[in-house]
Amino acid sequence: MHPVYPCSQFKESGLPLKLGPISQQVDSMAQTTSELSLVQEQFLEQAQAYLRSVSADALRQKLEWHRRQQIRIPWLVAVPHGSLADAVPAPSSLLPADFCVVGSDASSIPPDRHSSIRYYVLNVGYALLIYGRHPDAVLEAESQLCFQDQDLYVFPEKCDVPIEGVLLGARMEVESLRILQRVVQSSSRPTVALRDGPLILWTLQNESEEVQQAILHGFLEAMAFLRQAEIPLAGYISYTDSRDVANSLRVWLCQGRPPDECERCKSSERDLCLALAKIRDRDLFGFLAVGERSELFGSSSQILERYGEHRVDFFYLNVGEEVARVEVPQWVRSDPELLHFLHAAIYDQCRRSPGFPPYPPALLEAHEQAVITAAERRLMEEMVEQALGQVGQRIVRSAKDDSKRRRGV
Amino acid sequence: MRIGEIIETMSTGFVAESFELNRPPALGSLVIVRLPAEVRGASAGMDLYAVVTYGRTAGLDPSRRAVCRSTDTVYDQAIYQEHPELKRILRTEFGAALVGFFADGQVLQHLPAQPPPLHFSVQTALAEEVRRFTDRLHYLRLLLTISGEVSPLQVMAANVREVYRHRGNDRIWLDAAAREIATLLKNDHEALLTVLYAIDPGG
Repeated sequence: MHPVYPCSQFKESGLPLKLGPISQQVDSMAQTTSELSLVQEQFLEQAQAYLRSVSADALRQKLEWHRRQQIRIPWLVAVPHGSLADAVPAPSSLLPADFCVVGSDASSIPPDRHSSIRYYVLNVGYALLIYGRHPDAVLEAESQLCFQDQDLYVFPEKCDVPIEGVLLGARMEVESLRILQRVVQSSSRPTVALRDGPLILWTLQNESEEVQQAILHGFLEAMAFLRQAEIPLAGYISYTDSRDVANSLRVWLCQGRPPDECERCKSSERDLCLALAKIRDRDLFGFLAVGERSELFGSSSQILERYGEHRVDFFYLNVGEEVARVEVPQWVRSDPELLHFLHAAIYDQCRRSPGFPPYPPALLEAHEQAVITAAERRLMEEMVEQALGQVGQRIVRSAKDDSKRRRGV
Repeated sequence: MRIGEIIETMSTGFVAESFELNRPPALGSLVIVRLPAEVRGASAGMDLYAVVTYGRTAGLDPSRRAVCRSTDTVYDQAIYQEHPELKRILRTEFGAALVGFFADGQVLQHLPAQPPPLHFSVQTALAEEVRRFTDRLHYLRLLLTISGEVSPLQVMAANVREVYRHRGNDRIWLDAAAREIATLLKNDHEALLTVLYAIDPGG
């Protein structure tokens, strides 16, 4: 039984957030979640049974039919390259005696809309871990202050399309791939390159074609380099929210045209279809044993139309207490040697993880290098203010920002 | 030989990062910080002498605690082979209490006027330097005043053991050191016994 906090207790403390009523809602949420999870469990079992029984060929054909008929499917779907429910065990014996794993991650101090000076900071971290007879590690970060037009705009010649929000996020993803390209050049051993996060930059989906191409240019260039160097690359997504495979099962169950006809749907599988909308692929592939991966799937993400020969596929991998999503370029998927090396190396990384559920140490250490602490953010702000002060410039802040900083009573 | 770099410094001593993970200099051993003439602002350099008061290995980032990494098959030294990043994210540090200095051809056993500069090297003391510095025993008084996790009595006993060894098991020096300690602790019989038991070079 959760304690019920008296409303008056919080009123007296003067907290703007009314924790009294919220605490009752928290109890209610916990109760509802526990009831729903029982129902979801039954649907999950049904969905997994479908995953085992549906022919991958038939599903592929149905998805292809939708595509040819130009019937828009309102969800991201997964196109199976192999079977739907087969599990591939970790080929641990395929790891070379000496090998490297490079992980990268990035963080930023975004531009401040409330300040008169416009800049942002990129901090790209990497970890090069060397295993085998001469184990070693390089943990580093590259930091960059971006303040010139070519950094601040996608099209600097026109000072058009500022890099902020989604585009700053995409720029970080590009830089974290470019650093992999640079770092792997220092390795003479077989190497696996891992990026924290997806390779499918779906956040660019709503941008114009020109913006997509401008941002993706460096990303695809780095992928081309890694392909040339025969270095398997992967985007690693822990605790993935993806539902691509679950959505494909919905398409399989569907007799009509979603979502317009969903309300009128009379199918006996309607409840399962609705339940699938809440089932994540990580749960669907919960049957994988530790170290096993699923077969590969293609993604229907629109942004992949811009990837050309580097189109990205994905698989799910049980790393131990967690099913992670691993995204790979198709040249990794189509080269069994690279794919096995990647699979073995990621599983090996998770085996070496200091925590549980496991997480690749190369990504953990890259994150530690990339992260910018609150103190560092403040220091950066002070450095900029000081440098500008020395040349007689003063930072003007918006009235709103100024009042928030002062918080006068 | 350079064994570490000063990362914190004060008038009474300093903290240094050891160049070798898990191998700080021996507790109680004498270490030296060499100051060239230009740093000292004099015509000749100066060697600061300090006694190691503790060693510690922990995460480089204080907000990241070390976690257990052993398995049934991977433990002890094999953990470092299996996790090469450890040598970059762990650090071994040691503390040292200043006990005197050698300048202008003289050994002086009191605190120097200035703390050693941050980021300067810490070096091991040569046998000859140990002998020269410890010919007099006034520095033991400074050791009695230190505060820290290791008690001054244990640091003093460790120092006597180390110096005895460095001086080639010099029994005469050991007797003199024991007498000096007996004088220092004449009002605290229990403390005196603690130090003498801890010295016990004969085992």
